[in-house]
Amino acid sequence: MDTKIISGELKRCPAWQFGLWIGAAGIVLLWGVYATLLCWIKGLNQTNMNDAYGFALWIWADLAIIALGGGAFFTGFLRYIIGKDELKHIINYAVIIGFICYSSALIILGIDVGQPLRGWFIFWHANVHSMLTEVAFCLTCYLFVLIIEYTPIILENRRLGNIPFLHNFGHNLHEIMAVFAATGVFLSFFHQGSLGGVSGVLFGRPFAFREGVFIWPWTFFLFTWSAAACGPCFTILITKITEKITGKKLVKQNVIELLAKISGWMTGTYIIAKIVDTLYWAKVTLPKTGFGFLDFYTNNPLYGIWILVLEIGICGILPALILISEKGRKNPASLMAAVILAVLGVCINRWVMVLQVMAAPVLTFETWQMYIPSWQEIATTILPLAYGVIVVSFSYRYLPVFPQEKELNP
Amino acid sequence: MKIDRRSFLSLGIGGAAGIVLSPLPWKLMDDSAIWTQTWPWTPVPPKGDATYVNSACTLCPGGCGISVRKIDERAVKIEGIKGHPVNDGGICLLGLSGLQLLYGPTRIKTPLKRDGERGAGKWIEISWEEAISNVAEKLGDLRKNGKSGSVAFISGIDKSTVPALFKRFLSVYGSSGFMRMPSAADSYELAVYHSLGLKAQLGFDIENSDFVLSFGSGIIEGWGSPVYMMRANGNLRKTGGKIIQIEPRLSNTAAKSNKWIPLNPGTEYALALGLADVIITKSLYNRDYINNSTSGFGEFAAFVQSLYSPDKVEKITGIKKDIIETLAVDFIKAAKPVAICGRGQGRAQSSLGEVIAVQALNALVGNINRKGGAFTVSDPGYFSLPGVISGKMAETKPANIFINDVNSGKCTANALFIYEANPLYSLPDSNSVKEAFAKIPFIVSFSSFMDETAMNSDLVLPNHIYLERYEDVYIGSIPKPVVSLLKPVVNPQFNTKHTGDVIIQIAKKMGSSLADSFRWDSYDSFLEKALGDKWKVLSEESFFEDKKAAELSLKKFDFTGDFSDFKSLFLDLNAQGNPDKYPLVLIPYDSVRIANGYIGNPPFVVKTVEDTALKEKDIFVEVNPVTAKALGLLEESSAMIETPKGKAKVKIHLFEGIMPGLVAMPRGLGHSAYDKYIAGKGINVNELIGTIEDPASGLDAGWGIRAGLLKC
Amino acid sequence: MKEEKNNKNAKKFGMVIDLDKCTGCGTCMVACMSENNIPFKEDESNKLYSITWMRVYRLTNGKSYPDTDICYLPRPCQHCGGRGDHGHSPCVSVCPATATDYSKETGIVSQIYTRCFGCRYCMAACPYHARYFNWWDPVWPKGMEKYLSPNVSVRMRGVVEKCSFCFHRYQLAKDKAYYENRSEIEENEYQTACAQACPSGAIAFGDLNNPAHAVCELKKNKNAFRLLERLQTNPKVYYISGRQWVRHAGDNHLKRDS
Ligand SMILES: Nc1nc2c(c(=O)[nH]1)N[C@H]1C(S)=C(S)[C@@H](COP(=O)(O)OP(=O)(O)OC[C@H]3O[C@@H](n4cnc5c(=O)[nH]c(N)nc54)[C@H](O)[C@@H]3O)O[C@H]1N2
Ligand SMILES: Nc1nc2c(c(=O)[nH]1)N[C@H]1C(S)=C(S)[C@@H](COP(=O)(O)OP(=O)(O)OC[C@H]3O[C@@H](n4cnc5c(=O)[nH]c(N)nc54)[C@H](O)[C@@H]3O)O[C@H]1N2
Ligand code: SF4
Ligand code: SF4
Ligand code: SF4
Ligand code: SF4
Ligand code: SF4
Repeated sequence: MDTKIISGELKRCPAWQFGLWIGAAGIVLLWGVYATLLCWIKGLNQTNMNDAYGFALWIWADLAIIALGGGAFFTGFLRYIIGKDELKHIINYAVIIGFICYSSALIILGIDVGQPLRGWFIFWHANVHSMLTEVAFCLTCYLFVLIIEYTPIILENRRLGNIPFLHNFGHNLHEIMAVFAATGVFLSFFHQGSLGGVSGVLFGRPFAFREGVFIWPWTFFLFTWSAAACGPCFTILITKITEKITGKKLVKQNVIELLAKISGWMTGTYIIAKIVDTLYWAKVTLPKTGFGFLDFYTNNPLYGIWILVLEIGICGILPALILISEKGRKNPASLMAAVILAVLGVCINRWVMVLQVMAAPVLTFETWQMYIPSWQEIATTILPLAYGVIVVSFSYRYLPVFPQEKELNP
Repeated sequence: MKIDRRSFLSLGIGGAAGIVLSPLPWKLMDDSAIWTQTWPWTPVPPKGDATYVNSACTLCPGGCGISVRKIDERAVKIEGIKGHPVNDGGICLLGLSGLQLLYGPTRIKTPLKRDGERGAGKWIEISWEEAISNVAEKLGDLRKNGKSGSVAFISGIDKSTVPALFKRFLSVYGSSGFMRMPSAADSYELAVYHSLGLKAQLGFDIENSDFVLSFGSGIIEGWGSPVYMMRANGNLRKTGGKIIQIEPRLSNTAAKSNKWIPLNPGTEYALALGLADVIITKSLYNRDYINNSTSGFGEFAAFVQSLYSPDKVEKITGIKKDIIETLAVDFIKAAKPVAICGRGQGRAQSSLGEVIAVQALNALVGNINRKGGAFTVSDPGYFSLPGVISGKMAETKPANIFINDVNSGKCTANALFIYEANPLYSLPDSNSVKEAFAKIPFIVSFSSFMDETAMNSDLVLPNHIYLERYEDVYIGSIPKPVVSLLKPVVNPQFNTKHTGDVIIQIAKKMGSSLADSFRWDSYDSFLEKALGDKWKVLSEESFFEDKKAAELSLKKFDFTGDFSDFKSLFLDLNAQGNPDKYPLVLIPYDSVRIANGYIGNPPFVVKTVEDTALKEKDIFVEVNPVTAKALGLLEESSAMIETPKGKAKVKIHLFEGIMPGLVAMPRGLGHSAYDKYIAGKGINVNELIGTIEDPASGLDAGWGIRAGLLKC
Repeated sequence: MKEEKNNKNAKKFGMVIDLDKCTGCGTCMVACMSENNIPFKEDESNKLYSITWMRVYRLTNGKSYPDTDICYLPRPCQHCGGRGDHGHSPCVSVCPATATDYSKETGIVSQIYTRCFGCRYCMAACPYHARYFNWWDPVWPKGMEKYLSPNVSVRMRGVVEKCSFCFHRYQLAKDKAYYENRSEIEENEYQTACAQACPSGAIAFGDLNNPAHAVCELKKNKNAFRLLERLQTNPKVYYISGRQWVRHAGDNHLKRDS
């Protein structure tokens, strides 16, 4: 039925099967859209956020998604700037995943604000002191870059590629892609940092606050570093899941391993920085505010030391060691485990930097605040997932995403 | 022109680019943002000229002077009058919320006649003519059948001109049934009558005292005249005065006092006698005063020395005897000490023995009618009703006694009128009040609000609220009584009528002697005449001090309180209930953040109620953690509280500041009437507590009731 | 020259709240609500959704019966000057849309409702929970909107609001002074609604820079402290308490130095 659109040589499932798949994802998507509409029409009272929890589940999702979308910029950086040529076999997918992550992040921001129709005030009345201004500018610019990076992939579609104008347009884009990739890398480095800055600058919140250099708190650098480290793991993870679902090998193992190795080293160095940061915070920054380290890990039903052990040890040091060691990378099971742990690790970090920050009391006469998201928040948070599945599915079906697919699936 | 794919695409792309670059999207974006800033459903308060009207607040017996800010015809803010003798610019949270009552949904908008069962909330709107004829007819019938004596009035206030009209009406009509809502004032008045032989209230000069010994009086909890007392408390602090607070629960007053001494509830009188014993035994009392200005001292001294030695008092009150001794000495040695009583806000009666025992302390230091002491304040003298009337002027009785009498059959009531009061809600033992109401065939409410009592009446004749009418406001619970004038700040918002006018019109309608006794055209013209030369002062200044009521009488203080047998006066009155079945004791407590008079809590006031007292619809009771632990209860546990009077579901708030074995519940929640902002929040503690009749006075000496608390 | 003149005229409005005088009566909360058109809902018992620019906290000393003690602590916006009092309040510095600003002229932290787009970053930044979000449309029962004051705009759903030190009263006072040909306003001409209403006289308000104003002297009281001073938020609200445990509760202390 849609065979004319599918690039000739690629084998794809029958249209009905694809339709069912998309339908299933579509239902989840609609659920999220419904929740979104509720939030827009009735307001944010549809969520369980409150005056103590001004940032909640989906802001965490937002930060996590952006961190994971970091695979795009970092793979781009490696491919176009460092010149790791093998990565061209996975860069398309990394870009698509990045695009999904970043567009989702903007959608979430559009739902998150109390006055979405005034969202553009962030640009019009920009406050240069605000990390969020920095985030908004970079995020938006980078999304444009990702669109530009995504466009040539779309234009490689069989039907679109037949249109000479588009074909040439796409080709020309390809030629100058390195420039965009470099811009993207710069923007992304920057705003990953700004996101880290969002919590790091909160000098009224000792749990989040970090000293730093110039206007940037250490979290600025830690966020960029961790996104660069764990983003590629997410690209690998999604690639592996796609392979599992399609039942095809799509990217050669050496490409995956290269990415995994780099990721391992990045994670390893990141986690050292994170440990230093944590120690410095606990020993130097915190005491000045009158807080003890343990104040943030006791007297509440959820946040104990375990979360630190999980984030830094199990989801930081461990995957770093696995990915750095050749044996670890070569073993598919340990590779997968490491990739999953690393992804989990960065998600926990973002959780801590958003939700634990809100939960921890600062005034001596207040107590820990716990919060449970409403279904509307969950639905809108899952929405990007369904949206991602759909975009990936269409991209995979109709676009030559994996250059090695034909070779690997003769 | 044939559009091929290529030109179509370029057109499309070009068009899109054109639109983006055109002003259109930007204009739309801007418009949409402006639209969110002017959502039509978000009100924009109209601008206008700002003016101020001085008046007074009647939302509690405080009598504060208020200045209402208006923008054109709208009242937008209530503030305290700077320089007013009661509140000097201060105000309380209830007073500040008055406009929510003025414009709120709980107002009754027109006269209503019951349709269907009582309390079902079905009403027929009627005209004022019909309403007034209806009442006149009913009263005419009763009089014809010789049942004039069975008509009763319950009023929230009793000293100013509107209650004077009620009393005149009843006297001419042939009834003595004028009641006021019970309060500590009943006990004070009785005590003053017994010990000083005067008909007067008591006003305590906290401000000028240097040592206040408070037997549970919530000086900053809204006791007496709330803002006056809070200011007095502030001034006392400034001059370095001390407050010693004696009560079983760490109230705000206790927390702010210099010393909090918890004691077994209900044993205040014993402590006072114990202190007297120490003072007498140590011969520290004011000899001059005792010799020249008192009588019965010898008998009293013998009595307390035989029965209320510190050892014995320690057993009764639970206070260590050395604390009792030190306290007595500290009290008597202060320059201007004063002992006060009347629990919480003083909205409930106390036993006569308790008040006399506490007054005896004041007599021992000789500070009655002396700066910084207890002042007698006689009935107001600022107005007089012109014309002589036939019949005996009705005496004021406390409404709770009336309710008991109706229930016991001692008294038959065929018609009941209720003014500025909500007895069905605010009298203890709500069920017995309901029972009494059921026996009264004709109930008329003058309430401006759909409160519980109005809800259960047959006819509602809504009064203007205090911001819409002229009326005098008298406050006699302070050493220097003050009269203020209510002024119509705004025009009546609804089809309501001044109750003064209603009474005058009913009297006119009934003709004969009644019409003769009510010859005024309107309440306003009556008021002007009744006030005489004071009218000018009031309408210009809006308040003045009633010097006549403050004139001091120098009668002797009689320690015997006119009682031949002290043992029948000073009694341990046990809480009702079997301790085996009800191991705990429930005590109601007052909070200044919860209105508990006839006014329901306006939304602003509800906003200030802590979430340890009310969460959604659940009320919290305070329990000491030790008690809670024994019962397996945790913070926020649900529990069933049961007393001999009823049971209710509550939540637990662990509070270290309450004596183990007690359960404390706030007064003023659990309304079932009014509107959705007031009703359905918590439990009315009056449904769980009963009364304890003081054999010496017949007043309610209730301070608590035995209770059981079960986890559920 | 001009600079100098400006600096000399710069005011630093602030408050000194005497916690020993404060009775916890809640009048300041309601004074603020009625002055500033604060909305209300049917259920206000969930304090995480209850807008109270002024909130009176209840502190306890944590001791058991009968050594328990309570102190009430009214908390308006602290109008933080930020580190070094440079005007980088925690909230102002983070607002991406400049919807909240620090006035160097008055030291007051403003909030522009029509500018705010509801990202709530400022709320995350404020350690005092002084900021409130309009989760719902404000709704007044029919007729009740009559009492709304035109001097303070009613906030729409989706924006953040907070105590403004009754800034409109400052403007009204300045206008009045202007009409009367005066360049300065008197201390009593600009008082906040909460300070004015407090029946205990616990709240003093004025220019912390002006020795003629009561607050200037009061803040030097040896028992004066500010909340969370160690965070260097530099609040303009001072508290006084003779009780050591209360002063101690004003800031966090490491176990070893407490
Ligand atoms: N006669 C005359 N008219 C003029 C002008 C003139 O010079 N003379 N100038 C014109 C000019 S240039 C201007 S900009 C306009 C200004 O006109 P407006 O915008 O009306 O300015 P203001 O009266 O200064 O402030 C408006 C309101 O903002 C409130 N406000 C202050 N701070 C805050 C805050 O943090 N939050 C909120 N929600 N409200 C706050 C104030 O209380 C006041 O009610 O007037 C114009 N009109
Ligand atoms: N204290 C205080 N300061 C404020 C404000 C406030 O409310 N209070 N508001 C602020 C705001 S919003 C604004 S916009 C500014 C306004 O501040 P300014 O721009 O200083 O406004 P004005 O003082 O009203 O006008 C400036 C000068 O322009 C002159 N002028 C009038 N018409 C003309 C003309 O046709 N040609 C020329 N060349 N000159 C002309 C006037 O005589 C006056 O001397 O003030 C800001 N400063
Ligand atoms: S104390 Fe009473 S009279 Fe005074 S303002 Fe409050 S409610 Fe009104
Ligand atoms: S009004 Fe005054 S006394 Fe009452 S809570 Fe506020 S500051 Fe304290
Ligand atoms: S108290 Fe909070 S809202 Fe007020 S200035 Fe400080 S940080 Fe900002
Ligand atoms: S919620 Fe409003 S005031 Fe706060 S940071 Fe966001 S835009 Fe600024
Ligand atoms: S200063 Fe004004 S705005 Fe701030 S809390 Fe007091 S009354 Fe409210």
